[in-house]
This record gives sequence, C-alpha cells and structure tokens, in this order.
Amino acid sequence: MSPADPKLPLFQDADETVAAIHQGEVDAVVVMRALEGPQIILLQGAEEPYRVLVERMSDGALTADPHGVILYVNDRLCEQTGYPSAGLVGRSLPSLFEGGPPNLVPEVTVEASLLRNTGEAMPVAVWSRPISIANSTATLVRLTDLSIHRRAEQIAAAERFARSVLEQANEAVVVLSPDGHITHASLRAEQLARQPPVGCTFSEAFQLEAQATEEAETLARFSSESLDALLATRPFHGVEVKLRGEANAKFTFLLSAGPLIDENKTNVGSIVTLTDITERKRAEEAQTTLVAELNHRVKNILAIVQSVAAQTMRSSVSLENFADAFTGRLKALATAHDILTQTRWIGIGLGELLGAVLAPYRSPAEGRISISGPPILLPAHAVVPLSMVLHEMTTNAAKYGALSTRQGRIEITWQVTGGIEKSIELVWLERGGRKVKAAAPTGFGTKLIDHVISHDLDGNTKLDFDPDGVRWTIAIPLRGLAGGGAAASGAATA
Amino acid sequence: MTERDGYNLRLYVAGQTPKSIAAIANLKKICDEHLPGRYEIEIIDLMKDPALAMRHQIVAIPTLIRQLPEPLKRIIGDLSNTEKVLVGLDIRPS
Repeated sequence: MSPADPKLPLFQDADETVAAIHQGEVDAVVVMRALEGPQIILLQGAEEPYRVLVERMSDGALTADPHGVILYVNDRLCEQTGYPSAGLVGRSLPSLFEGGPPNLVPEVTVEASLLRNTGEAMPVAVWSRPISIANSTATLVRLTDLSIHRRAEQIAAAERFARSVLEQANEAVVVLSPDGHITHASLRAEQLARQPPVGCTFSEAFQLEAQATEEAETLARFSSESLDALLATRPFHGVEVKLRGEANAKFTFLLSAGPLIDENKTNVGSIVTLTDITERKRAEEAQTTLVAELNHRVKNILAIVQSVAAQTMRSSVSLENFADAFTGRLKALATAHDILTQTRWIGIGLGELLGAVLAPYRSPAEGRISISGPPILLPAHAVVPLSMVLHEMTTNAAKYGALSTRQGRIEITWQVTGGIEKSIELVWLERGGRKVKAAAPTGFGTKLIDHVISHDLDGNTKLDFDPDGVRWTIAIPLRGLAGGGAAASGAATA
Repeated sequence: MTERDGYNLRLYVAGQTPKSIAAIANLKKICDEHLPGRYEIEIIDLMKDPALAMRHQIVAIPTLIRQLPEPLKRIIGDLSNTEKVLVGLDIRPS
C-alpha cells in the first residue's frame, strides 16, 4: 500500500467532509478498523429499500442521464448483457441495442433487441419513466427478458401440440418419465386404464395378461416394478397382451415401448403404445381356420375321387365304359364345387341345384324336365352328396330311361312332410322313356344313390319300376340336412 | 493530452449508491462541458477494494481527487454543485 500523500493535509478537509455529509452529498463513509483495515459504511436513506428492490429485481434496470449516458445498472442487467457494471456505466444507452435504440415513451413498453457481449441479441421489453436523482432528471429503464417468455410460449405451444397429437391418437399411447410414471396419456389410454393414468406407474394403470403361453413366460420374468423400469428405459417390442377387466377382455394389444429423446439427445423417458390388434388377430384366426378347412376339403375330395374311381372301375365292363362313367361323376363333383364356390359355401336352394345338375339335358322349348317344389335351402355339406345322387339318376335316365328317347319326360317334385320329424320328400318320376325293369344285379349308380342318401343324409330311397318309367322317392329328414362335415367323407366311403 | 494541460481525475465511489451514480453523471457532464478532450476519469469502486481508500485517505464517498494538474485537490460530495466543482478543480477562477 502506498504511503499517504505528504502534500495532502490530513485534516484540512474535515470541515468539508462533515458539511458534505450534513448536506446529504455523500452516502458512504470509510471507517478504519484495527484488524480489517478500511471498511465502507453506507449511509442508508429513505430510498434505500427501493434501491435494494431495484438491485434484486428479476428484470434488468438502468438509469441514464438526459444525454443517454448510463449511470447505474443492476445485477440482472449485467447478467442479461454479459458485461460487468463497470462495462456498462458510462456507455450510451443506444449502444446497448441492436438495430438502433428503441423509441422510449414514458410508461410505455416497447420491444427491442438487447446486444449481449457474445454478439447475440436478446429480445427484451423496454419500459421507461423519468426520475429525479440528486436534483437532476434521469431516466429509469426496465428491460424484461422476452426470450424466457418466448421460450415459455414455445414450450407451451409444443406441449399443446404434443398433447393434441396424443389426444387425437386412436391407439393407447402413454409417455413415461424415466422413473416409470405416466406423464401424458392419449384419450384411448385413459379409456383403457383402471384409473386416471397420469401420475401412476404403468403397471398401476394397466394390468397385463399375456395373450399366448410363450408371451406369458416373457411377462412372468418381470415384476411390476421391473416391467415399469423396463418400459421406461429400454426399447420393448411386440409382446401380445390382454388387459385384465371385463370391459377390455375382448381386445388384444401389442405392447411396445421406445425411448423419448429430447433436443439434447438425452433420454427423458419413453413412449409406450398399446396397439389394438384385435381385428388382426381375428383375421389371422379366420385365415388359420380357412386353411385347415381347405386342407380338410381337399383331402375329402381326393378321397371321394379315389372311392368313385375304385367303385366305377369295379362296375365297368370296359375301359371306355369306365372312362364315360368316371368322367361324368367327376363333372358332377366339379359342378357341386362350382355351386359351393359361387355361393361361398353357404348352400343353395334345392330347385337351383336340380337346375344346375340337369342343365345339359334341359331345353326350354322341349319342356321335358319339370322341376317344382317349395323353396328349401340346402346347406353346403349336403350339396356334394345330393349332386352325386342327382347325377347318377340323370345318367341312368339318359342311358336307360326317360332321357334315352325323344318323347321321355321327367317330373321332379318335392314337398316337406311329417309332423315333429319333418322330411323333404322328393319324387323323381320318369315317363315316356323306354320300358324299364329292375336291373339285376343293381348297378353302381343305384348303390351310390342308396348309400349316400342313407349314410350321408340320414334318409332313405325307394325305387319303383313302373311300366311307364322309374319312380324314385327320396326322403331326407330336415335334421339330416342340419348336420355338417360328414357328408363328403361319407360319400368317399360309398 | 499532456500532463501540463490535462486533467487526471479519480472518483472514489461506493458501488452504485445514489450519490455515487449522481457523482459519475455530474462529473462526466461537467468535464464534457468544460474540459472537452482534456480529461481522464478513473472511477475507483471502494466496495470492491476498500483498501484503495488509504491512498488518498478517503473518508466520505463519493470523493473526487484531482491528481493532475498538481497540486492534488479533493472535492467531497455528489458534484451536484457545478460551480463548486469548477472552483475546486481550478477550472474557472473563483
């Protein structure tokens, strides 16, 4: 420390000092203390609370003289600009702003860009009013950092946007914080949750059950806590689950989780989705059933073909005879399958089936074949056996009966008979053909008709050889038409 | 600026007390009006380093010291009385 200047009289200015203090021209004094050395003691006046308020306020503040020279800045303005107070006091007010000084109007807030020491500009709201300092006029300027407000507005807008995206999502989507608590939930998630989900852990809001055995093992490996932690911190894909509770029992979900990364590439939680795959599962199950059904039907058809071939071979006297009979029966089979395909395996009316089987022999002009009876819908399983039966009857008529002459006619009629046990009684009446008599031994066609009607459709047949032609009477109980599945395999064993 | 015609002024202040701020404003104004281009002002904040008060035996703040031209002169107060400052600094004959 330099020694006291010998030219400065120590007590020469004592009177002046006292007078200055008395007149209020000083507001601090230096007091010598034995141990600490010189100490500054502030003489606080009535304005002191306001000065402290300004110094500690969250907005930047400065005072400038009428020429715009900055006289005072508070700590916040130093933070805002990045300069120490010594770097601001004495500067001109306009030099603080980018793009020229704001047009200050007392008590009016205007926006401006405050220049930081880094060269960046900070949006600020500038408010000013004239004040009096030490008998002279000055301007008090307050600068409010708008970047905080703007950032808050951006965050609020982003939050609103994210929330609206979530709310509009058709799937159940929740956002988990890193500690496993739900911070956001879509509308669908709120509907599925056991309780309002926000604030709960995932396992509190959603009680999971595995959809399949292997997935049950996957889920069983995790306690509720570890599942929450896993979902919140690790990618998690594709476990099919159900939610406990009656209301959710019919739905199947795909549980997935992915990390939620913020703008700093930091993992701030995860997004968990419960995708409703109920329809997909139904479609998959329907497809599996369909494939199994198709497989079953193909096997049945092959068995029928094999059986028909073997039987036809046994009853054929020559290769040509076999070829004709076998081709005809395959065509009948094909016709039956065409009908089933066209009707999507729902079935067909009895009249329509007769029309399709007899189509090659029917000529509207000749009117040789008449078909009449009440509407009866045959189920799909009855179509193949009845087609085979009608084919055999038609073939017999073509070879030996009404269709073997120009004058021959066939009348096919049916009705529903019986009381409690209702049956369809179908009569096939041939007239005008060649005279026929009972064949001995009975041919394969007749055997097939008998066998199919009795075994596959639980009915019975009666064949009368009238002098004018044959009369088939076939009775099929309606309950025989109600069953399914055995028809094709039954035919196969004929 | 030379030592002969220039004014080397040192203003002791205590942070940003009202009188300190007023003294800075008043001094700049007076110098700009009466000593344009012929002055240097050094502002010493004793709140930051009270020991600097020893150099010129400062007892009240604000205090202005005229270091040059010699002799050394001091003015205590917020320098709101311009006439007093001009006289004290020998800028205008009393």
